[in-house]
Amino acid sequence: MILLQAHSRYLLQILQNRVQNLDKGVELDCHWVEFDDVRYHIQASIKTPNLLHLSVSLPTPPPEIDFSGGLPLGAIEALKTAYGSVVHILDPPKDGFNLTVKLNLVKLPNLEEMKQNLLVKIASVREVVMGAPLRVILKRLASRSVPPNAAELVPLLHRPNESFFIVPQLEKVTVVFPMRFNDSIDTVLATSFLQEFVEARRTAGLNNAPACLWSSTPPNELKEAPQQALSANAGFVSFVISTRHVEGKKLEKTVWSLSTFHAYVNYHVKCSEGFMHTRMRRRVESLIQALDRAKLDENTATAAQSKSFKRLTIEESRGNSH
Amino acid sequence: MDPSTSRPAVVIDNGTGYTKMGFAGNVEPFFNVPTVVALNDSFLSQPARNSLKGSTSWLTQHSAGVMADLDFHIGEDAMSKSRSSGIYNLTHPIKHGQVENWDAMERFWQQCIYNYLRCDPEDHYFLLTESPLTAPESREYTGEIMFETFNVPGLYIAVQPVLALAAGYTTNKCEMTGVVVDVGDGATHVVPVAEGYVIGSSIKSISISGKDVTFFIQQLMRERGEHINIPPEDSLEVARKVKETFCYTCADIVKEFNKHDKEPAKYIKKWKGIKPKTGAPYSCDVGYERFLGPEVFFNPEIYNKGFKTPLPSVIDKCIQSAPIDTRRALYKNIVLSGGSTAFKDFHRRLQREVKKIVGARVNASEAKFNNLKAQPVEVNVVSHPIQKHAVWFGGSVLASTQEFFAACHTKAEYEEYGASICRTNPVFKGMY
Repeated sequence: MILLQAHSRYLLQILQNRVQNLDKGVELDCHWVEFDDVRYHIQASIKTPNLLHLSVSLPTPPPEIDFSGGLPLGAIEALKTAYGSVVHILDPPKDGFNLTVKLNLVKLPNLEEMKQNLLVKIASVREVVMGAPLRVILKRLASRSVPPNAAELVPLLHRPNESFFIVPQLEKVTVVFPMRFNDSIDTVLATSFLQEFVEARRTAGLNNAPACLWSSTPPNELKEAPQQALSANAGFVSFVISTRHVEGKKLEKTVWSLSTFHAYVNYHVKCSEGFMHTRMRRRVESLIQALDRAKLDENTATAAQSKSFKRLTIEESRGNSH
Repeated sequence: MDPSTSRPAVVIDNGTGYTKMGFAGNVEPFFNVPTVVALNDSFLSQPARNSLKGSTSWLTQHSAGVMADLDFHIGEDAMSKSRSSGIYNLTHPIKHGQVENWDAMERFWQQCIYNYLRCDPEDHYFLLTESPLTAPESREYTGEIMFETFNVPGLYIAVQPVLALAAGYTTNKCEMTGVVVDVGDGATHVVPVAEGYVIGSSIKSISISGKDVTFFIQQLMRERGEHINIPPEDSLEVARKVKETFCYTCADIVKEFNKHDKEPAKYIKKWKGIKPKTGAPYSCDVGYERFLGPEVFFNPEIYNKGFKTPLPSVIDKCIQSAPIDTRRALYKNIVLSGGSTAFKDFHRRLQREVKKIVGARVNASEAKFNNLKAQPVEVNVVSHPIQKHAVWFGGSVLASTQEFFAACHTKAEYEEYGASICRTNPVFKGMY
């Protein structure tokens, strides 16, 4: 898996199970957390098997972003456009959450493929809500209409207390991410990963990809940004998105990829660490083999003991109940 | 205040057959996936390079396919991918409860966290489980992987039978003394636990587990000729589903055979399936397998594996080998856990058999000492609806208590003292 998926796997599983057993509803009351501090809570009762109450809580926005009514700009319209009558927004939302919706599974379309597509869309509720402001800006880019805030810096919510910045213009949109990591090793790996991003963009075959830049100091676009947004220990990444990246189906993917860029980099940094672990283990094994060969041959008869550092197993105690 | 403690902890129960994972505070695990990894090892079959010249070895891997090390799947996806395409090799990282392949295990956890649970490991405390009698080195390796690769803020590695006991928390006053009969897919253990600590020397394991019951059912169906209907690649899968849907535990084998023969319409069920290749439906009969499957635990000789001790006497032997002052408490609290104990009436049959053995012994000792009457021994086999995921549920209950966060090993401790802190995981106040 290279890219993080847009839909929540568990939510999709719940929805599909309930749709298949519409008349045999069971009590459901689960809460869970996704990356970037997005919390979900889902509730269903036996009495109304086709109704589900889903609540979503978003990360706390940094001071430069303003959530009107607790949700990002354009979120409510985006929800209505995406889901139609299946979803009914409840106001006020459940205590501690930013959004509560009531899902009526009876109102799903009957055609199997459309039903599955809509269920996947419902499971991607996070993308719809959090990516709403970005989607508005990119749609304007796709339709080549003049943005009202051209060349102005727009901050958008990225992670708890962190934002990323967009400069919308007529022909292109520049997106700047200040990258911050908690762990020092992660920071080093992420810095080289991001610099590699820029290098890889130059290889042939990626000419249509958005232009990518990395710098350790805030780039020019961020000169009007508030001060605390300008500290980033893994540098600043900027992408230049042009119209051809947001046409048609690519819009959704672009919105998701940009909204969760930090999580993506984080995931790959962890994968790299895991891979390095694998190589380290292989190295240790080869060194142990070298050590074994160097040991004086006391009992050449016991050739079975090829591993000197045998890990304890419970082979001996297995089946010991005779 | 550490924000990670305000979020629910992640509970992952890694078993030999299945891994159950989810967030603490919930009743059921979110995902129950087979513990299997399908790896694409084609890029690893390069000639061994003795000199680690950075650029050359990286280039070969790069040309083998970018992100080749990310080309793997876990769980159900792994099994279907390995069936459909030939480049994937299935590995089971856990054998008999012990992690054998750490590379595969690390990748398995990586996919669990990022693909299934979709959480950021830096935000949550983790509760992992292990089999009793695991070597301390294994806990060290686990801690190393969790803290170094995933940067978790805190980790606690619990022993599975202790969690299974904690699952009985809500049903009666929590007893941390009892015998846990954990019949899983890959291994069956009988573990006595006294006051939250496992009595390691008395652990007994038997080589019959859920997988064996499935094989047995497949064998019986084949002997009767049902297999001509079932497509051969699915026969194990069908046997497993038959086991889960139709099997029950009978009281007496002979009487059960008679019941089946007298009223076949009432007892013989039909299994309906669809052939995957042609889409044609087929059906086959399920008869004696219904009660012969679980009977394997009580009369192992019918399975013909060379193993003759039935489960009730293993439990009895286990308790008799435990310290004498704990035995009554152990008899009073025999807890079942694991998917293969979910057969109907399993606990009733087990209780009856163990009572018989204990009763016989008490009578024999009374006969020897003529007048002394012993206090009757209370035998109680506890079963509750969450048996299948008892270990996971116990983990979820424990990870929701406040004391859990204090009992975990934190990243700061790991950085200060090293991986050896993970060797001991104290039993904490929240368990009582």
